[in-house]
Amino acid sequence: MGVVVTGDSELRGQGMASRLLMTLHVVVSPPHRLGGVPHGTRVIAPIVGGSFEGPRLRGRVLPGGSDWTLLRSDGVLELDLRITLEADDGALIYMNSFGLRHGPPEVLAALARGDSVDPAQYYFRTAPRFEASAPQYAYLNRLLAISSGDRRASGPIYTVEEIL
Amino acid sequence: MDVLRRDVLKTVAASIVAGATSGVVACANEVSVGDRFPSAKAGHTAMNSRLLMTVRIAAAPSQKLGTVPHGNRTVVPVTGGHFEGLRLRGEILSGGGDWLLLRSDNVLELDLRITLETDDHALIYMTFQGLRHGSPEVIAALGRGEVVDRASYYFRTLPRFETSTESYAFLNRMVTVGVGEARPAGAIHRIYEIL
Repeated sequence: MGVVVTGDSELRGQGMASRLLMTLHVVVSPPHRLGGVPHGTRVIAPIVGGSFEGPRLRGRVLPGGSDWTLLRSDGVLELDLRITLEADDGALIYMNSFGLRHGPPEVLAALARGDSVDPAQYYFRTAPRFEASAPQYAYLNRLLAISSGDRRASGPIYTVEEIL
Repeated sequence: MDVLRRDVLKTVAASIVAGATSGVVACANEVSVGDRFPSAKAGHTAMNSRLLMTVRIAAAPSQKLGTVPHGNRTVVPVTGGHFEGLRLRGEILSGGGDWLLLRSDNVLELDLRITLETDDHALIYMTFQGLRHGSPEVIAALGRGEVVDRASYYFRTLPRFETSTESYAFLNRMVTVGVGEARPAGAIHRIYEIL
């Protein structure tokens, strides 16, 4: 019944552990296209609302944040999001995330047209961080998270997982 | 039989998560899997990942700067080390460091910058931000330079990479997570690519 685990078994790819923290829907308004800047092509997408729901927290996204996206010379889109979440008990949570999005040209073109695309067709991953002063959400200050994004015409949907 | 096999696999996975390193024997009924290893059955969709590499950092004695506006600052110079994975391996160059900040909530923030040199001489710039925290006893033991089971504290990082070498350009395009282990001579980070 015993199982011998060696360092080699990690190379065989068991991976790290995570669990669902929340699903986050973000509503964006038409983006500001700043064009070519020294690091790439800058597009700023204002966040006007949204909602989030998970086993331990739920609420709405306040208007006022944005995603400062940068299309790099290698075709990878860097995402740099800052938003404020308001939990259903009134607590405010600052969330920022850094992410990457890339995929085949035809898939990215379909996304740009606002088409609905299977998120498995492209890579869209982010690493959210949180700041909260409310004791019931202090655990958010102490965890790292990753998310998988699904870019929709109205704005992205992120499945955010806590890294255990 | 199927159920038994699944339990064994879960135990193997949980043991890895829990910090088994060399020849640790784990029994299914002794390991509390619980919600530390969510299954699809529980309605969770654990993120797919695979090991990218293990990074072993050699550090010089830390420079304790004391209390600064954001917390307690310690700088740990990186003098060398090595990394090994299926797709890359090589040495860590000297000259980097980890700019640690102990916050008022007793969480240690990590902010590392190092340069990797692969065995085929490509240079890779690696950074991460991370968090480390645990019970006061465990953190005190780490402070005394003791080796502590890495499952007894939280030590996670978000590494990022930059390289100009085409054969390693995949590093520019991935999000990764590091599971850290504090050792007296320097930390060991198992870095997983998020698929």
